[in-house]
Amino acid sequence: MVVGDFANEVDVLVVGGGPGGYVAAIRAAQLGRKVTLVDKGELGGVCLNRGCIPSKALITAAERVQQIKEADRMGIRVNGDIAVDLPELMNWKDGVVKKLTGGVGTLLKGNKVDVIKGEAYFSGPDTVRIATEKDSQTYQFKDCIIATGSRPVELPSLPFDGKRILSSTEILSLQELPKRLLVVGGGYIGLELGTAYRKLGSEVTILEGTDSLLPGVDPSLVRMVTRKLKKLGVTVVTGAMVQGGESSEDEVRVTAQVKGEEKTYAADVVLVAVGRKPNTDELGLEQVGIQLDERGFIKVDKQLRTSVPHIYAIGDVAGGALLAHKASYEGKVAAEVIAGMPSEVDVRAMPFVIFSDPEIAYTGLTEQEAKEKGYDPVVSRFAFQANGRALTMDSADGFAQVVADKESKQILGVQIVGPEASTLISEAVLAIEMGANAEDVSLSVHAHPTLPEAVMEAAEGVLGQAIHMVKK
Amino acid sequence: RRRRVPAAPSTRRLARELGVDITQIKGTGSQGRVTDEDVRRAAAALQE
Ligand SMILES: Cc1cc2nc3c(=O)[nH]c(=O)nc-3n(C[C@H](O)[C@H](O)[C@H](O)COP(=O)(O)OP(=O)(O)OC[C@H]3O[C@@H](n4cnc5c(N)ncnc54)[C@H](O)[C@@H]3O)c2cc1C
Repeated sequence: MVVGDFANEVDVLVVGGGPGGYVAAIRAAQLGRKVTLVDKGELGGVCLNRGCIPSKALITAAERVQQIKEADRMGIRVNGDIAVDLPELMNWKDGVVKKLTGGVGTLLKGNKVDVIKGEAYFSGPDTVRIATEKDSQTYQFKDCIIATGSRPVELPSLPFDGKRILSSTEILSLQELPKRLLVVGGGYIGLELGTAYRKLGSEVTILEGTDSLLPGVDPSLVRMVTRKLKKLGVTVVTGAMVQGGESSEDEVRVTAQVKGEEKTYAADVVLVAVGRKPNTDELGLEQVGIQLDERGFIKVDKQLRTSVPHIYAIGDVAGGALLAHKASYEGKVAAEVIAGMPSEVDVRAMPFVIFSDPEIAYTGLTEQEAKEKGYDPVVSRFAFQANGRALTMDSADGFAQVVADKESKQILGVQIVGPEASTLISEAVLAIEMGANAEDVSLSVHAHPTLPEAVMEAAEGVLGQAIHMVKK
Repeated sequence: RRRRVPAAPSTRRLARELGVDITQIKGTGSQGRVTDEDVRRAAAALQE
């Protein structure tokens, strides 16, 4: 420490106020710790400010437009054009974000968490320097939780310019609808936003390097989405390796190697969504000796401890699934461990949700994974076409599928593609966590007519007893 | 292959709190479910 430097002493220091950090701070405070939380940006992190929430707001608005267009099928005539006022839409979305980030601030205050707006940098194994707008001070902590999250990966051949070559952050705040939108990367972020802009009126092309959209997701689920994209008029180019691009006054041109052929794509803006990388590089972690894995994520154990035992890491920065609910769950575990509880990461069913059209959600094991783990799985699929509620919603594409252990009928995994899959997956998560078997789900009365009946019937199918499906 | 012990999240937490390894417990619940009682019994046995 520099002579004359005054160290503020804090009990638990949380670095980062995203869904990992703010939840960790609140749980630690609930357990009686004095907590200080520092964030250099806005509370709520990526998820609230430039991730989950704004993207879902745009997706909902875009879906509303689509529903108005399709209302004709129900005899609802909408005369005239549907006009989307993008600045006003963005305003509405910003209002939603503000309400939620404000709520996070209120919760932190209500739990007596000290919040500092500033950038943290480790100066030793139990000290950080926090640079605020005014000054820079040293804080000494007993325990620390690193929750600094992640940021978009830049393609060196197609660097972000904030005008035409954009990351997910900027595409969530466009003030003008692009006539032509090019999306580089067919992962969930590119797919969700590409679909939304298509529904708002843009011409959309998605370039994906591998041979399928949503690499890593069960192809039978992806197939339903690919089909709908075609219907919506989204151009999907797989096996497209982007070589580079250049923007001019009035457009951006991107070249890609597509199955051995060089192709050029012109657009008004290009969204580069090829992945995310951890915010570990400007934290001074090397001075503390915190170990990273080969991709730069912080290595943690089951209790979220880093290689320095009184420093924990949670959320995106700790790798694994880069999801908000995973970050929050880990935040609670880390806070509990700090408070002396024997908590550890003990998840049997992490839900994965993609807000595509139709939505995809899955948890637990796929049939393939179940086999690899040595189970003898039985798979039962129930189509939304046979679900009354889905038909009344005019949204019956897709299915719910249950993977169960043949012998015990224990539910091992659930995959859903279809309306409200994002909501439906919660029952599956609880079933797996509780060790429920297919009979438990099928004997639970599901309200009629509702979408969750599809999950119940898929479970009945495991027993060979679905009512609205004939045994093949 | 080691089967997953069927046990609710709260029961798994209880096992951690009482310092017992849930994979070593034979559940007495339906279809071998490990109950809170099973965990407490195993913890008591460890005490002896
Ligand atoms: C477009 C998009 C859509 C998404 N949609 C979903 C979704 O629907 N569902 C879902 O589960 N996930 C979604 N995600 C992912 C989700 O946003 C992240 O998994 C989640 O935000 C991770 O939370 P976190 O707390 O680990 O970190 P972040 O949310 O990244 O927060 C980290 C915080 O740390 C701060 N920080 C960083 N470095 C420092 C420093 N040195 N000093 C002080 N503060 C610092 C940052 O300012 C930031 O506020 C989406 C992401 C994107 C980009």
